[in-house]
Amino acid sequence: MLKQDRLLGDSVISTRDLGEELAKISLDLAKRENATYAELRLVNTRSEDVSVVNENPASEEASTIGVGIRVLYKDSGWGFADTDELEHDSIRETTKKALSLAKGASKLGIKVTRAPEPVHVDKWETPVKKDPFRVPTETKYELLQDTTKRMKENDVVARRAQMMFAIIEKYFANSEGSKIFQVISNAGVSVIVAAKGPTGVQRRSIQQNTGGGYELIDEMDLPGQALELTKDAIALTHAPTIQEGKSDIILSGDQVALQVHESCGHPIELDRVLGYEANFAGRSFLSPDQLGKLQYGSEHVNIVMDATLDHGNGLGTFGYDDEGVKAQRKYAVKNGKFVGYLMSRETAPRVGETRSNGCMRAEYYKLPIIRMTNVSLEPGDWDYDEMIEDTRDGYLMVTNYGWSIDQKRYNFQFNTEKGYRIRNGSIGEMVRGPTYSGITPEFWNSCDAIGNKKSWVLWGTPNCGKGQPSQTMVTGHGASPSRFRNIRVFGAS
Amino acid sequence: MSQKMEHQPVSLRERAHEIFRTAKAVAGKAEAEIILVSRVDEYLRFGNNELAQSQYSTSRNLSVRIASEKKQGRVTTGTLDKASIEKTVEKAISQARNSPEDPDYLPMPGPQKYRSVDRYSEKTVEAPAELKAGYIGSAMDLAKKNHLLASGVLGTSVEHVMMLNTSGLEASYRGTGGYFSLTMDADNGNQTGYALSTFGDIGELNPDEASQTALERAMLNKNQADIAPGKFDVVVDPYAWSEMLLYFAVSASTGYSPDLGMRQYKEGRSYLSGRLGEKILGDNISIDDDVYDPNQAGPPFDGEGCMKSKVSLVENGVFRNVVSSRISQHRYGAAPTGHELPLPNPLGELPTNLVIRGRGATKTSEELIGELDKGLLITRFWYVRETEPRTKTVTGMTRDGTFLVENGQIKRPVKNLRFNQSLLELFSKVDALSEPVRNFSEFAQFRILQPGILARDFNFTSVSPF
Repeated sequence: MLKQDRLLGDSVISTRDLGEELAKISLDLAKRENATYAELRLVNTRSEDVSVVNENPASEEASTIGVGIRVLYKDSGWGFADTDELEHDSIRETTKKALSLAKGASKLGIKVTRAPEPVHVDKWETPVKKDPFRVPTETKYELLQDTTKRMKENDVVARRAQMMFAIIEKYFANSEGSKIFQVISNAGVSVIVAAKGPTGVQRRSIQQNTGGGYELIDEMDLPGQALELTKDAIALTHAPTIQEGKSDIILSGDQVALQVHESCGHPIELDRVLGYEANFAGRSFLSPDQLGKLQYGSEHVNIVMDATLDHGNGLGTFGYDDEGVKAQRKYAVKNGKFVGYLMSRETAPRVGETRSNGCMRAEYYKLPIIRMTNVSLEPGDWDYDEMIEDTRDGYLMVTNYGWSIDQKRYNFQFNTEKGYRIRNGSIGEMVRGPTYSGITPEFWNSCDAIGNKKSWVLWGTPNCGKGQPSQTMVTGHGASPSRFRNIRVFGAS
Repeated sequence: MSQKMEHQPVSLRERAHEIFRTAKAVAGKAEAEIILVSRVDEYLRFGNNELAQSQYSTSRNLSVRIASEKKQGRVTTGTLDKASIEKTVEKAISQARNSPEDPDYLPMPGPQKYRSVDRYSEKTVEAPAELKAGYIGSAMDLAKKNHLLASGVLGTSVEHVMMLNTSGLEASYRGTGGYFSLTMDADNGNQTGYALSTFGDIGELNPDEASQTALERAMLNKNQADIAPGKFDVVVDPYAWSEMLLYFAVSASTGYSPDLGMRQYKEGRSYLSGRLGEKILGDNISIDDDVYDPNQAGPPFDGEGCMKSKVSLVENGVFRNVVSSRISQHRYGAAPTGHELPLPNPLGELPTNLVIRGRGATKTSEELIGELDKGLLITRFWYVRETEPRTKTVTGMTRDGTFLVENGQIKRPVKNLRFNQSLLELFSKVDALSEPVRNFSEFAQFRILQPGILARDFNFTSVSPF
């Protein structure tokens, strides 16, 4: 179903029809100019962001449409150009710019080998139960104001509630004959409360981002959660910190999701492994000689890269990536062993793979690079309550506050918003700013319990940064609460 | 190709007025504001001694704010035909109508006087891709000769902003900028060296100097020695900071929201609330927000078109002022300083052009190293995040060359270290500084002029295996 007809001159034309029209112009021209390969993406995005901070409302709706054209010349130089001017002359001009850059790059580049991909002529759409753009802005404000009002207490210094939605119509065509139309919908919500007391400012928050629509907001019960978060934030301003030392820890599911993102998702990106991100995002400790050999984690650890809808409606769920490769499921870590990378058509052959697993994504005005899809820790066998009961002495740490990891993804430190002491299988007193740090393979090898399906949630990261110039992408991470033994812990303050 | 043809400021001004006439006609009696931004960016990105990605990007973005009966809405679009503009304004009217009253609503400001800034370089606009590719080719040749791999980016941008509102305000800005960032490495990233150079005019760029710096650091940075974490005196290169000093002006405790604004200060949201007049940094440190510094970038007006003033935030270590706006003038009687974000803005004001400098004579980086008896030279920080707001404690890593210095001489490279360090404490223990330079962070893209420092007792807490 086409949702965002746009005006082109005096006539209304759908994104799909416009994409076909512009792709024909661009791809024909690239072929005449002897390009080895060419592709065009027309991306039509509509987004809405509504927020309330204390008593102040703000909303913004945005729409962008544009074309990105990528060309390979003489199998050895890539060129990319984009434009938001969609007249035929502009598309020809933009194609010529991409060709010109590709020809220049071919003089300095090396031969490119691309893994084959079947030709796809298809359409795909994110399932949406409740169209967020049909819910009145007024209704959204009412909910956010109700949420922030419930957080109003003495000692509370900041109350913030926000929801955001995007619908992205994407038409892709390449010189091999693929023609793919996708409608991808995302939704997100966050609530933050900060309180001030004897221990300074303490924060509590919730955040979730998924594929789909307004049903996410309906499921979250923001006003109900606001009361709990506020109570926590105030209590944290009086809570003790923790002593530095080694301890067993249980991490909440949202914290495990970020741990997976930073310490597994990034180091399995094959472009950074091969050195193409060395100047900014960095390299990776998971070099090709480790593939199939390194015991990345304990036998309980299974991490999957899965962009298919069967995995869930996450931020990394789609039909095809931005070079026309069909969504797939593949293991990165199987029974603790490192077995797979996130790849592109160009990088897959460099590690002996015959096909990309479809991880190239970008805004239309950025050149596609390898991004995480849904990189998820598969559920284990443990009931959450049993995991707590089985822990003699340790800490439960809940929701991320700050995160940092070195450029090869070894040395990390995560601060969480709140924690609890666990003694003899029971949750005890609250602690503020509990922090843990470690070295990635040592940490994952210390994992001895992973929560089962009942506690598994497909979380979303809406702001993953990578590339030069910097690109932001949305990624998904399924995770459940998990336990790690003998980890270095300390308090953030 | 050059970036010239796509960027004609006179025609953009005419285009902005044409768009504004359309917007006004649709808005009727409501107040209307438009911000039209046109950008042309060119990036040549290289990796593994290959020119890996060449990108040319043009964009125009129209943002429309409508205000009526104390309600406001903002809608942006990249599509600028007449029908799309009309639709955008209609959506903004609808957004405003469906929004609650904004308790901070003020009528849009009228015509303003601006202090001019000269940030437009024809050389940058006209620089052909071939010239930039030549710079990169030289860097890659140098790396190859020394059995290293060069990776990085040379980016240039041309930006033009036009702002108009129904109270008669008209503001315009055009500027150019760019950066050359590169790493040379070997042994799967175990041996690395980094350099960065920023410019407004590409004629100021010395690509060979940057390449030579990256090379020298990479050649030195191999077989890193083990090191135990602890407190070390340090010299921090002025280009090493990455996003670290951003945390003077942004707080994670309230959701990575802007800080050092009057509204945040008065509401108790700022990490410095209640501390005006208090000594927070060393006597030798001052921090201004100064868009007019010749090394700064960006327009001399804020998100509602008011002129930016230079504000002394910290003077000789004492916290003196926060930045302000018309809203803070209305709420608290504070003099506005032109630091509003585009409205409606519930977050508060933001200093956008920090300048951190030392008192007295400055020194070169080499002189700072020469004065370090025993400690570490940091050439790049990485992945810095706030861990505690009150003391502005941040954590992060070193990368691409951390060197042990003894008696003013670089002795040997050491493994990368993690730190947990209060920025307030660090800048209370600075013995000497270099001139501030314009840094660049892909993470933050924030305009801060940052000095190199020689400082005591930097707190390193763990070590990486490489």
